[in-house]
Amino acid sequence: MIFKRTIPLLIVFGIGVLAFVQDYVPHPWSTAFRDEMTTWTMVIGGFAMFLGLYSLSHMHVTRIRRQMPGWGYSIFVFIGAIGMIATGIFSDIFGPLAAGTKNEVDLFDWGYDNILIPCSATVFSILAFYMASAAFRTFRARNLAAGLLLAAAIIVMFGRVPVSEVVSGWLFNDRMVIPNLSKAIMDYPNLAAKRGIMLGIALGVISQSMRILLGIERSYMGGGDR
Amino acid sequence: MSTNQSRPRYYELTRRIIYVSIALAVIIPYFYNPKQDFSPSIEVRKVYDKVESLSPGDHLLISIDYDPSSEAELYPMSLALLRHCFKKGVIPIVMTPWPTSVGIAKKGCDEAVADANSMFGKKVVSGKDYVFLGFRPGITNLMLKMGDNLKGAFDKDYYGQPTQGMKALAGVSSLKNVKLLVDLAAMGTVEWWIAYGADKADIPMATGTTAVMTPDLYPFYQSNQLIGFLGGLRGAADYEKLLKIPGRGERGMLAQSVTHVLIILLILGANIHMFASQLLRKKEALS
Repeated sequence: MIFKRTIPLLIVFGIGVLAFVQDYVPHPWSTAFRDEMTTWTMVIGGFAMFLGLYSLSHMHVTRIRRQMPGWGYSIFVFIGAIGMIATGIFSDIFGPLAAGTKNEVDLFDWGYDNILIPCSATVFSILAFYMASAAFRTFRARNLAAGLLLAAAIIVMFGRVPVSEVVSGWLFNDRMVIPNLSKAIMDYPNLAAKRGIMLGIALGVISQSMRILLGIERSYMGGGDR
Repeated sequence: MSTNQSRPRYYELTRRIIYVSIALAVIIPYFYNPKQDFSPSIEVRKVYDKVESLSPGDHLLISIDYDPSSEAELYPMSLALLRHCFKKGVIPIVMTPWPTSVGIAKKGCDEAVADANSMFGKKVVSGKDYVFLGFRPGITNLMLKMGDNLKGAFDKDYYGQPTQGMKALAGVSSLKNVKLLVDLAAMGTVEWWIAYGADKADIPMATGTTAVMTPDLYPFYQSNQLIGFLGGLRGAADYEKLLKIPGRGERGMLAQSVTHVLIILLILGANIHMFASQLLRKKEALS
């Protein structure tokens, strides 16, 4: 119990308080401590990638072994990962897949530019279709609040694209009414709402951090909050 | 009963029409590519003016915090900023705290270097006129480390050259020596860069983000924690217009205009349909 709970909690409390306090102490020792701690966390961050790789592999191996629905896609995870790792290693400056002449790219860069970028961009661009379809189905002025939201959305959507300047020019004698209205919505109601949300989140983060430092919140240690 | 049975078919058909319309609205205008007239926003102009005010040899840090999925919106910003730096003789320090962003950051540097040669007749050399530091893990800790000791955080650049003694980093020991920090982000790194990078080092900061993230930037812009920002493809187009070097941002503006108008028409159409149906039902109930 002492090794599983008490000592980890004391480490979290001690390091947490030191990390908090050092920010307010302009002493060379304080700066040296921060420098050392950031180096440590960067090294730990590097090892966390291996943990992520293990976790991902474990999940997809399980899916393939149990032939769970969609297990075929898991094979592509390994094909992609092994392919990129192998080309990455052998495309090193002196590797066999490295760029041969000045303007030639190595195989890793070729794969990144011609497979990863188009595939990722394609998947992300599908969002445009879903958003258009979802807007058509659900964006309805069913009450006053929804109506106001709808009106604001239309003004902002229209005001952000160049055609709104052309339309404003026609309708309002060259005055940029629609783009300015769009900017006003972003500058005032949007800003006020965002600031409120951010302050709420910040207070939540502070209280959660205090709970972790004081050992009240222990779910990060595993086993729930027992 | 017949209405209930026909509803899914109606929606299925509508969905297909919407998908085809959106595809055409994006593809056709992108190839049409006419010259468009639009005014760059004040937020973008402030970023442009800040870069324009830098002297040759000043350093500008660009953090590439997006991966290939956001390439369409953010890559044109990277290119425009790097082209501006090379045009002015400002030294860009490019880095990323994300492993998946290394390739796209390198691609941007390579393309801008080639452009510097063809557009401005300058031979830009890595380690002298710019530096690409590549990736280091740690994100917020990396930012803190860079604030204390930039060459300690990146002891070598992407190509394996030691940063200690590198000509491009002469006079730069930490973030404090950077004249402007620009975060090109599709992830939640803007707030981290403000808190752990720019505010601590007391340096000006600007950002370029995807359009969906842009509304989050306004509180920081109002409090002067950001000097300006480039929002979505329009932000990239505005910067290209100010730089007078057309790129993919400007080229995408007609497609974006047509798509936005189409979505607005779809929403208005659906609402008119809803109100008409409600009126019809009321009329039927009364009769």
